[in-house]
Amino acid sequence: MTELPSIAPSADAISLPKRLRAPEVVAVLEDLHRRAGDGPLTLDFGAVEEFDSSTLAFLHYVRGRSARLTMINIREDLARAEKGFLHWPCPEEPEGAPPASRLARSFTTVAERYMRQGRSMGRFLTMLGDEVYHLGGYLRERKGVYPGEIWNQLFFMGYRSFPIVSLLLFLVGVTISITSANQLKIFGAQVYLADLIGYAMLRELVPLMVGVILAGKVGAAVTAELASMTVLEEVDALKTMGVVPERFLMVPRLVAITQAVPLLVALADVVGIMGGIVVARVMFQMTPTAFLTEMVTSVDWTDFAWGLVKTVVFGWAVVVGAGFKGFTVGRSAEEVGRATTESVVLSVTMIIIIDCIFAFVLY
Amino acid sequence: MDIISGRELTVGYGEVPVLCDLTFGIPAGQITAIVGVSGSGKSTLLKTLAGLLPPLAGGFDFAGRAIDYRSESSLSFLYDKIGVLYQGGALLNGLDLYENVALPIRMRYPEMPEDMVRDMVHASLAQVELADSSEKFPAELSGGMVKRGGLARALVLDPDLVFCDEPSSGLDPITSHRLDDLLLHLRETFRMTLVVVTHELRSIERVADRVLLIDGGGLRFNGEYREMLASEDPFIQTFLLRKDRHDDA
Repeated sequence: MTELPSIAPSADAISLPKRLRAPEVVAVLEDLHRRAGDGPLTLDFGAVEEFDSSTLAFLHYVRGRSARLTMINIREDLARAEKGFLHWPCPEEPEGAPPASRLARSFTTVAERYMRQGRSMGRFLTMLGDEVYHLGGYLRERKGVYPGEIWNQLFFMGYRSFPIVSLLLFLVGVTISITSANQLKIFGAQVYLADLIGYAMLRELVPLMVGVILAGKVGAAVTAELASMTVLEEVDALKTMGVVPERFLMVPRLVAITQAVPLLVALADVVGIMGGIVVARVMFQMTPTAFLTEMVTSVDWTDFAWGLVKTVVFGWAVVVGAGFKGFTVGRSAEEVGRATTESVVLSVTMIIIIDCIFAFVLY
Repeated sequence: MDIISGRELTVGYGEVPVLCDLTFGIPAGQITAIVGVSGSGKSTLLKTLAGLLPPLAGGFDFAGRAIDYRSESSLSFLYDKIGVLYQGGALLNGLDLYENVALPIRMRYPEMPEDMVRDMVHASLAQVELADSSEKFPAELSGGMVKRGGLARALVLDPDLVFCDEPSSGLDPITSHRLDDLLLHLRETFRMTLVVVTHELRSIERVADRVLLIDGGGLRFNGEYREMLASEDPFIQTFLLRKDRHDDA
């Protein structure tokens, strides 16, 4: 290495340490800030042997900012490294239109968001149409779906959902009964607990709760699976095998949810009403027979049927929403988690909107 | 004769072009390597040629027929004649290796007797030396086995052309060498056309008859590998020497 001529440091020189890496650079910068009001300063690099990119950035920083600082005794290897460091300059801000005002930027951001949502809604509706077409095609031709996949999905969506649906709907039945019983007692109308529970369970609570459980359990699983397949190029692989992924992956799930929902609704209706029977027995000493006799005076099979129809529609919304989020995921693993969360939010939102529409139509 | 002919093909994502105005031919019965530095658009071009990403402009012919992305029958024609080995194998995790390889047969010819399916799957698995692992699931296979499984699936219906996206990536030199041998075997034995996307120089050197070198959003070189070796283009020389472009700047 060529020896550089050494410049004798002046009295106000800061002699930099032998090791000048990030921690030392930070300490030197603090020292320089403390001396901000002082006169000219000299930084003596003569002793510096160990350096890293923060040292090079420090050199560049000091050179560009202060005329009162003089740097001396910079070794040849350090100078060469700095030259190499500056070989990759920071990208300059692109020249373009002058920055818009904050109000205009906010407006643009909101407008862009709504346009994105609008495009997303369009893609969702297109997918819904595609799924109806593919389901019709499958029912006509019985082709394009992996043999046995419908049974696998039915097992997962139906059988595996029985325990959680039973537990939650029983607890909902108990909770609603206790809450209502206290109010009914005030008016001496305890006997109407059976009517209330029967009507609420069959028409509203069972469809809504089963829909929400499906959104959390089935919807999240469908999105996670499809999104992983998209990220891992398995969906692309299906396409190049001549398989239509929207049929191959979605039709078994749609058929399975259509078959699983009636079973889940029937179970949920039974356990929810059982919750009411238990509360009526404990709080009002009403026998199960009396409860059921009273209940059937106000509810009939149409209430069960409408509850069933609603839940099937919710199930479809969950599966199509989950499939939409799964297929439209990006290419990174991080997006799988985000898509799964968005899928649950989308499904629950759709369930509540559809339920509201049903309420207008039915009541 | 060219099995694929690109006509002023522009490929990219959304409205952003990655490669512009590519005019090229991929001859039948040879191994063509699509090479270039990382991020140059090799895989994007492969996706377009494999019927997965519509071109932004221009188009390409496959076996003399123009491929129209808006036509389901045109894409079906393309899919019927190609197989694709994906970078990560892309085997379906829910199916064992046997079922993964059988999948294209079951989907395209559901009426085919199971005995025939079994024979075809075992022949394909034997070709990639995986006949003993047919009952294993993808999660139980090594990286090299997954890739060979993916290749077995791509080959099971004897396509006219097989696309291989980075077949050597993530593999040790021995496994990579064996995979290259397999590609050469397919070309020699079945006169199969292979399009290999790679930046592995050793692999290019061993298997490629022709090279499409991509750089700066276009084609830098399109010709035989030995012509590429003789090229005096500084970029090609740098590429062949595995030197970074900045060294010469």
